[in-house]
Amino acid sequence: MKIAVVGKGGSGKTTVSGVLARSFGRSGHNVVGLDCDTNPNLGLSLGVGDLETERLLSLRDQIEDSEQKHAHTWDDILEAYGTDAPDGVRLTVVNRIDNPEPD
Amino acid sequence: MIRIAFAGKGGSGKSSLSGTFARLLARRDRPVLAVDSDPLPGMAYSLGIAVDDHPTPDDVVVEGPEDGPKWVLRPGLDAASFIETYASAGPDHVQYLQFGNTWGHFQTLQRGQHAWSQVVREMDPAAWNVVGDLPGGTRQAMFGWAKYADVLAIVVEPTPKSIHVARRLLNITKAQWAPSQIVVVPNRIEEHADVERISSALECLAIGAVPNDLAVTEADKLALSPLDYRPGPFVEAVEQLVSVVESIYDLDVQPQTNGKP
Repeated sequence: MKIAVVGKGGSGKTTVSGVLARSFGRSGHNVVGLDCDTNPNLGLSLGVGDLETERLLSLRDQIEDSEQKHAHTWDDILEAYGTDAPDGVRLTVVNRIDNPEPD
Repeated sequence: MIRIAFAGKGGSGKSSLSGTFARLLARRDRPVLAVDSDPLPGMAYSLGIAVDDHPTPDDVVVEGPEDGPKWVLRPGLDAASFIETYASAGPDHVQYLQFGNTWGHFQTLQRGQHAWSQVVREMDPAAWNVVGDLPGGTRQAMFGWAKYADVLAIVVEPTPKSIHVARRLLNITKAQWAPSQIVVVPNRIEEHADVERISSALECLAIGAVPNDLAVTEADKLALSPLDYRPGPFVEAVEQLVSVVESIYDLDVQPQTNGKP
């Protein structure tokens, strides 16, 4: 199954997604938590903590600095750019905007 | 003239704060233009305007010259007449403009953005105090939608997610076009430790501390402005915030006059 959680800012999307992902994980499903927010916080809801959420996000910057190779398949992406969250959930992030545009 | 924009995480209270701020500023006999650039606009409610749908029509812009911006205000329409024609009147004589409404498609949003940037760039800086409400998150703020502001107020709740968003937004200080004053406004504060949590995590200037006021939640449910429903600690705190922001200008910290052509 593939579930997308949407709604107004502050309505609880990230919290609901995090709890859903871990609940499915606990009942034995293989779960990928995919954070599609340009301002990604799902790591915090899943419980991987502040530092790991930030580290995960900096992977994209590492690609741009060519410290990391591009991943070519879905599995590669999860392997290279994901992190393990509790209850067997694998978390990855689509993109992130954390610097202002030049103009 | 004051030019302030509110940004922050979705649900952090930007609309409630900016709408209330706009009206309290207007009560000090200032002409106030409230601008909502959220594609899912919510500022109308906190201003006390019953209908929340005041989109800017598509035909305010026409295609621009080849070497210029993609869309420009149509001939005969300038910033002043744009405001006169398309702003909605709210309580306390606040005028309200809405940009980026999502009833349209992507191109409509682009047109709204161009119209908006031209209006703020070309409007008479002596005519209006501007109070802006940005959408939640980092996207629009990072793309310079708050360029018009002298003061960027980042609304932060004492939660890790909200602080995270604020930390990212503080990167705007690095931009060449950054508003000259970037401040953090703690919201939904219940105890002193909440303010501590925010200011120590962000290592930046926090102005005010807006308390968690149940009346605001109730006003939200009734689609009323916090000013029109049991004004209490929240309204008092925003009143103080207005004074602090006025004093930023009085201190003459040389806000950039971003609005000047």
